[in-house]
Amino acid sequence: MPNIAVYIEQSGGAAKKVAWQMTAEARRLVDRTGGEVWAVVLGDAAAAAEAGRHGAHRVFTAAGDAFARYDAETWTRALAAFVAARRPDLLLVGATATGKDFAPRLAARLDAACVSDCVGLDFDGGFKLRRPIFAGKCYAEVAVDAPVAVAGVRPNAFPLFAGGGADAPVEGFDPGLGGFAPHASVVETVTSAEKKIELTEAEIIVSGGRGLKEAGNYKLIETLAATMGAAAGASRAIVDAGWVPHSHQVGQTGKTVSPKLYVAVGISGAIQHLAGMSSSKCIVAINKDPNAPIFKAADYGIAADLFEVVPALDEAIRALD
Amino acid sequence: MKIAVCVKQVPDSETRITLAAPGPELDRSGFTRVLNPYDAFAVEEAVRIKERLGADCEITAVTIGPDRAVETLKKDCLAVGCDRAIRVNEPALENAEPLQTAKVLAAVLRRGGYDLILTGKQAIDDDSAQVGPMLAELLDCSQATVVTKLELGQGVFTATCEIEGGAAIVRGSLPAVITCQKGLNEPRLPSLPNIMKAGMKPQETLTCADLGLEIPAARTRITTYSPPPPRAACRMVAADDPAAAARELARLLRDEAKVI
Ligand SMILES: Cc1cc2nc3c(=O)[nH]c(=O)nc-3n(C[C@H](O)[C@H](O)[C@H](O)COP(=O)(O)OP(=O)(O)OC[C@H]3O[C@@H](n4cnc5c(N)ncnc54)[C@H](O)[C@@H]3O)c2cc1C
Repeated sequence: MPNIAVYIEQSGGAAKKVAWQMTAEARRLVDRTGGEVWAVVLGDAAAAAEAGRHGAHRVFTAAGDAFARYDAETWTRALAAFVAARRPDLLLVGATATGKDFAPRLAARLDAACVSDCVGLDFDGGFKLRRPIFAGKCYAEVAVDAPVAVAGVRPNAFPLFAGGGADAPVEGFDPGLGGFAPHASVVETVTSAEKKIELTEAEIIVSGGRGLKEAGNYKLIETLAATMGAAAGASRAIVDAGWVPHSHQVGQTGKTVSPKLYVAVGISGAIQHLAGMSSSKCIVAINKDPNAPIFKAADYGIAADLFEVVPALDEAIRALD
Repeated sequence: MKIAVCVKQVPDSETRITLAAPGPELDRSGFTRVLNPYDAFAVEEAVRIKERLGADCEITAVTIGPDRAVETLKKDCLAVGCDRAIRVNEPALENAEPLQTAKVLAAVLRRGGYDLILTGKQAIDDDSAQVGPMLAELLDCSQATVVTKLELGQGVFTATCEIEGGAAIVRGSLPAVITCQKGLNEPRLPSLPNIMKAGMKPQETLTCADLGLEIPAARTRITTYSPPPPRAACRMVAADDPAAAARELARLLRDEAKVI
């Protein structure tokens, strides 16, 4: 009867999508095994009211000025205090920039098991966590040999809770910070000027590669992305060429994404690119070389000139329904 | 300033993993090993800091690994400007999980009194991205992860960290653990004469017993390695007429895959 705690990361007063994906998956699991799902909210309690609807049985919140700006040490202490007080068997943390920053630190403090970037969650007497390793070339099933585990969860690995959910009682907890001052903290966050859909959160991604031939042609990708309500991504080749900033790069040295739909345009499908996107649910490849390795990873492919196919696809999608 | 760079030897990114069926073992016999590419950014950053600060700076490269890891220390660390190397040789830690690694590295680092500890943002074999933040906790110091720019002042640092849709600027006091990401710098390559000379730099090999440490227990266990979930063969949409192909693709994505 495992109890699973879920850290609810917020941004601008709203919970991140991955937080509710985690409460949903945790709920599906405990509905089979017994146990409860506990949402843990630090600082701004705005998300607390929603947690029940997303599958949580109970919500725990800690307030205080210490949570006004993020730092790994404060988050580590507060969540360690929560784990010590409530003793969940598993604590889930989204594998976001923030989650990846503090989750290992928290595990070290708790001397807990720590598993990164999980895409599968199961329990039979003990937790079994599934995760890609070697850049997705292999999957590992990880068993936990400790009283508590901290697990990172890849965004978009799990669907939201469909079971309705009820209001969940909210209770405060003492984060045990009394006068604690961290050694380092975030003093500023800089977001890119244009309000674009973030790659790691997008449900659809349209990415372009060297097949686009020159920087100006990246607008084909941006146009199709806008039509599809998608984020625009890139291969390393065109990032290194300076056509788009590194923040667009998908792959081993870029971002790991798992959207519902990934459209790879003029991208050969090098192993380091596949590393970042091969867990996408549906992959479309548009490449004029029918032997390009990207077709081995794709679900749908068109072997033709992207300069003809992409504008036509844009039009075809606009013409749907 | 005393700088430590924690590095790992890993299978290169082209390594093929062949797994016919799921099982508890992975065949690692054919792996070609290299310095973890993210660690190269850490080594380079340390060397650039030393080049700025001059003689007042010493860089120690630290790794946990078997005899073959000596090559990585020599060629990729000492030959490009690190001053000394420490290797922990413990067969029981081959394929250790990150917390075991962090505990042993922390024991090494505690002996040195380092101001700055640099490492890659993650190793490309287990892809865990855990050792850096774990080290910071075990050493009770500052951290900044996935760093693309690092500035040092008197006892303080300012780091630019990659986050969703932008960057976070983290400021803190030294000592600090910094995990390095592409963009921080362009790692240099070692020259042959420097590789020859690297052999003369001090190198220490330790065991956990030398560190007064019991081999830390693992908290997790990989029970099964399996191939990636199978994907159905790619469905090629006939493309002699690109406009028709595009319409067919749009229809498939809506009606069959149900993703738009
Ligand atoms: C350590 C390391 C880390 C790396 N990390 C990353 C990473 O994070 N992300 C990443 O993407 N790469 C990464 N790479 C680079 C990777 O190996 C490839 O070099 C890169 O992905 C290639 O980009 P590309 O597919 O755009 O270009 P190319 O390989 O040049 O492919 C271009 C493709 O476009 C097609 N094409 C050309 N013209 C047309 C046309 N008119 N219509 C349709 N198709 C056309 C071609 O057939 C070809 O398949 C890394 C490499 C290393 C060594």
